[in-house]
Amino acid sequence: MSRGRAMRAQRRAEQFAKFRITQLNLVPLVDAMTAIVFFALTVSTVGALAPVVPGVTLPESRVGNPAFQQLTLGIGAQITVGGHPVMNTVDAARARSTDPAQPLLIPRLYDALRQTADSLRRVKHAAASAPVPAVLAIQGDRTMRYDLLSRVMQTARMAGFRDLTLQVARSEAPLPGATTTPVRAEP
Amino acid sequence: MTSRFQQAKQRRAERAPITAHGSINLVPLVDVLTSIVFFSLLTYQGNAMAALTSFDLTLPPVVINTPEQAQSVKREEDVLNLLLAVRVDNGGMLVEHSGGGGFHHRIDGVDDAALDRLQALMTDIRTQYPQNSDVLVIPADDVNYDTIVRVLERLRIARFAGIALGTRERAASAAPRGGR
Repeated sequence: MSRGRAMRAQRRAEQFAKFRITQLNLVPLVDAMTAIVFFALTVSTVGALAPVVPGVTLPESRVGNPAFQQLTLGIGAQITVGGHPVMNTVDAARARSTDPAQPLLIPRLYDALRQTADSLRRVKHAAASAPVPAVLAIQGDRTMRYDLLSRVMQTARMAGFRDLTLQVARSEAPLPGATTTPVRAEP
Repeated sequence: MTSRFQQAKQRRAERAPITAHGSINLVPLVDVLTSIVFFSLLTYQGNAMAALTSFDLTLPPVVINTPEQAQSVKREEDVLNLLLAVRVDNGGMLVEHSGGGGFHHRIDGVDDAALDRLQALMTDIRTQYPQNSDVLVIPADDVNYDTIVRVLERLRIARFAGIALGTRERAASAAPRGGR
């Protein structure tokens, strides 16, 4: 092949190269899609789990149902509803009911819960007298006394929350044996 | 005849895509890191996420006194045939039920050994009355929440699904309306 012919062949090849379809590099697309799928799955599982109310040391349990994100009532140094502080816990324990028929009622907490209940009913198109179509999760400090917890639960039920759940920290300790020192349940 | 120059140029052109720019392609790495940073910022809530578990509470059973109340019961399964209660105070636990003319069993203490005995007893009751999976827990006012949760845990292990928290009867101490 003469030099001129070789030059012509090369120029022709360069001309064809201009119109060649460039191959798409799919590697970045696959990498990005993998990352998106990974995070989407992570968010769908972890994002639905309930966060712990700040300032509350929860008791631990080895059994129980999975705790999902609900409207949360926190009882630490303050009583919070949905993350918003309502009142001081000491004040709540000392508060006197305004309803003689309901001596456990905590009036200020009742007002806050009633407001929340009404807005939930409006959102879910429920009747004003119907139970609130949502679960109220209670996260209480492990040092709390039962008299306060019972007042909080009674106040929540008076405000329309029929479904209550106690959220506690999950412990990984082994389950205790079920047959230690058996006691017959004879009447 | 192709010259040596042309052959060498051709070989360089063929090798070019393999060693383009003579460096590693960092584009996929940057893409992935961008996605990770974006989603991390999106999902960060500032709250501590911990593995939580929950105890769903049922309403305490209602004692039927009048025929009107009896008519409101829709199904036979709604009627409890065994009233089972666990009273908890700081000195121990009292298990009571209405089966066989009445049952009362006191377990002293609320430590691990006492809770083991409670669990064994409740498992036995659950076996004797398999149709009943409800239990009413009545803690004293001064019992702390940690003790209550430990009792609830043992009841759940004993396969009681419907756990209700009750309150002891107390005198009304309400302030007059409008006051606090």
